[in-house]
Amino acid sequence: MSILEVRGVEKIYSTRIGGSKVRALRNVCFAVEPGEYVAIMGESGSGKTTLLNIIAALDKPTNGTVILDGRDIGGIKESEIAAFRRDNLGFVFQEFNLLDTFTIEDNIYLPLVLAKKGYALMRDRLIPIADRLGISGILKKYPYEVSGGQKQRAAVARAMITEPRLILADEPTGALDSRASDELLRLFADVNEAGQTVLMVTHSVKAASVSRRVLFIKDGEVFHQLYRGDDTSEQFYQKISDTLTLLATGGQIK
Amino acid sequence: MKTFFYPRLAASGMIKNKRMYLPFILTCTGMVMMFYIIIYLAVSSVLDKLIGAETLRQMFALGSWVIAVFAAIFLFYTNSFLIKRRKKEFGLYNILGMGKRNIARILFWETVITAVVSVIAGLVAGIAFSKFAELGMVNIMHGEVSYDLSVSFVAVLRSVEVFGVIFLLLLCNSIRQVRFSSAVSLLRSENAGEKPPKGNWLFGICGALLLLGAYYISATIENPLAALMVFFVAVLMVIVGTYLLMISGSVIFCRLLQKDKRYYYRSNHFVSVSSMVYRMKRNGAGLASICILATMVLVMMASTTCLYFGEEDSVLTRYPRDINLEFQFDDLSDFSDEHTETLKNGVYEELKAKNVLLRNDYRYRVATFYGVVDGNTVDVDPTNISDTDFMNSAYVFRFIPLADYNELMGTDEVLADGEALLYSHRTNYNADEVSFKNGETFRIKKKLDALTGGSETAMDVISTITLVVPNLESSLRRLDGIANFNGDSLLQKKWICSFDTGMDPEGQIALYHDLTETLRRDPSSSVKLGYKSVYISSQEFEKNDFYGLFGALFYLGIILSLAFIVAAVLIIYYKQISEGYEDQARFLIMQKVGMTKPEIRASINSQLLTVFFLPLLLAVLHVTFAFPIIRKILLMFNLNNARLFASTTLLTVAVFALFYTAVYRLTSNAYYKIVSGLGGDR
Repeated sequence: MSILEVRGVEKIYSTRIGGSKVRALRNVCFAVEPGEYVAIMGESGSGKTTLLNIIAALDKPTNGTVILDGRDIGGIKESEIAAFRRDNLGFVFQEFNLLDTFTIEDNIYLPLVLAKKGYALMRDRLIPIADRLGISGILKKYPYEVSGGQKQRAAVARAMITEPRLILADEPTGALDSRASDELLRLFADVNEAGQTVLMVTHSVKAASVSRRVLFIKDGEVFHQLYRGDDTSEQFYQKISDTLTLLATGGQIK
Repeated sequence: MKTFFYPRLAASGMIKNKRMYLPFILTCTGMVMMFYIIIYLAVSSVLDKLIGAETLRQMFALGSWVIAVFAAIFLFYTNSFLIKRRKKEFGLYNILGMGKRNIARILFWETVITAVVSVIAGLVAGIAFSKFAELGMVNIMHGEVSYDLSVSFVAVLRSVEVFGVIFLLLLCNSIRQVRFSSAVSLLRSENAGEKPPKGNWLFGICGALLLLGAYYISATIENPLAALMVFFVAVLMVIVGTYLLMISGSVIFCRLLQKDKRYYYRSNHFVSVSSMVYRMKRNGAGLASICILATMVLVMMASTTCLYFGEEDSVLTRYPRDINLEFQFDDLSDFSDEHTETLKNGVYEELKAKNVLLRNDYRYRVATFYGVVDGNTVDVDPTNISDTDFMNSAYVFRFIPLADYNELMGTDEVLADGEALLYSHRTNYNADEVSFKNGETFRIKKKLDALTGGSETAMDVISTITLVVPNLESSLRRLDGIANFNGDSLLQKKWICSFDTGMDPEGQIALYHDLTETLRRDPSSSVKLGYKSVYISSQEFEKNDFYGLFGALFYLGIILSLAFIVAAVLIIYYKQISEGYEDQARFLIMQKVGMTKPEIRASINSQLLTVFFLPLLLAVLHVTFAFPIIRKILLMFNLNNARLFASTTLLTVAVFALFYTAVYRLTSNAYYKIVSGLGGDR
């Protein structure tokens, strides 16, 4: 069974004045299987962030359903949605979204504290994750004291500590320099290798080339998809790049 | 059209930020209004009809300066929030090519709009309410009421002048702030990165020690005179202590909470404790200010209310009968039974001639002097008494002859030589003997629970010990020689005569003036009746005097309290609103990570509760410990009604807390709207 199923999702925004309507998404359908690493690509304004927000239950679709682990997200009560998000989804954002009032350690604990887990359990879960992400040394520091790459790894740790069904990453490398980006992407690959399902939204070809499958979105629709198969990431990079060129020049894809 | 560009830009900017500007303008309006009213009262012709008009004018003039200085400081403080908030917008204008000069023009117009609106509104409100204020004051001081509405141009002019200067200073400050910062720093000013605070143990401990010291002083002080002297020291200690404690003590406290893993890592504590650490660092000073303001309001309201409502009481203690006469003698021989009898007959004749029907009258002879007590020995030699002794261990001693005591109280006590009855006032005398150095020693036969005619003692700030002695003249003869300063006897010899008249208040006051004429001013009476001088007091006359003085104090207390309350409230409001804008992003992240709306609400509530009620709690603690020392000081105003003071204090605290809670609700709603209002909210 798929972990995530997006069926016929449509999102229409009405402008505040005049009521003219903008269709951000139209009939988006795809599924993500357990253990997959999927990247969604598209240009700015293609609707990819809207899609991610809908999957994350941060926004509601105008039409269509999102099924996460067999549960229709639209059917979850308003009051339970935050808890649902907390228990099933892990988030990694472009701008890290770490709280400057917490140490790195406390930032990572945040979702578990909200889920009312005990300190011992949190500590037990943190140690291996921090080890794997190479942030054991900075746990006691505050976000302003560490580098962007370290912040993003802390954000990944925060996403992973709830052992979510799915990690959603929104342009995770957007605010990082190239070295930190490479490191982070390797981490995502590692995490995915270990069985974690990851869905990433990006417009960086490099980031997408690490994934196992790439969905291309254009004008609110899933336009095309590419499987990596047995390609190396360099080969995959080339393919993605070609596809993007075609998309941009408006050529046909067979 | 171009001429109106800057005013319109300024106006639209203010409207966009109305959540910040509206309270600011309201505050300015309120300050102008209060200032106008106080000046109006100070120059009002109604005052002339009140007793002590000059004192009142001075008090109101002083009050108006307090308000003006306070308004200036406070408006500066709130204006800094506004500037901080607008800096980003100005930064944007700056980047878009608007020069600092142009920004200054916008600021200028903003200030002009604020000033014009608030001064006009304040004056209108002031004029409208000044009549109420006047009626209120006249009523409080039991004066005559007139109902014609008038506008005082002096007051209008003074208000415009004072606030004109304040606004000019505000403008200069705003321009200075914008001038000395670059466009980029303007843009970023609101979210500049910040180090996590570290609690300074030394400061925290110092703060706690200062507070404890002040509390200790207040709780242990015995002597009212000493109380007045150390009161301001204690106030200073409390102020400094509160600031130190709030700024670093609270950070230390939160850090300790964070160390306790089981407490800290709970969903309802986690967010609030960690953001509290930040909040405390930035707001420690603000919270301390709120606390000090609240304490001031509480102390001021409680004591002025107590003075006002207790004045009836204190006049009665001070002057137990309608009319009190205190005749003073030069020589001990005037204390003889014969001379006293002659004086009594003469005075009673005089009163009879004036058609006064005496009721509840009493008379007694009394001699008073100062002495320093050490154990059971009393030193009355003035050359041996230092100033510090005088403050700490000096007592007023009164000697009353047994015969007069028996007549006064309707008893028939008998005393042997060397025996005495003892009545102590505002002190406890525990030894069984009173031994005067180089003089007699009295064995205390009995301690008295009550003594009529405490009038004289009630006045004294210093503790009093009254001894009823069998043979007054011989006892005094030896003391008279010792209590002697450069040949002047410090022994006061008095014959006191008090009585009720059954007259109406006007009649009593007329009699008081009449008696002053005949007994005091006319030298022939003193020669005829045989006394050196006389002090005459009338309950009714004193009452009016007290009403004038304490009424004005009470009134000023109310007005100043109002100003302080408004200030405290606005500090809190601005704090929360500006923090709300900063916290927006933080709460957005928490929502994304999975914090539910109720959880956000709960976390906000617990933070606000602390921010709001921590200062209030500390203020109540301050007031509780201020209670003993203020009670001692009130004693100097002859106010010895602990229950009245306790109940006015409790009432003030209750009213204040109620009002405070209402503001808390308003602010918490505004804060919640800001924090949860933006995007991604589901």
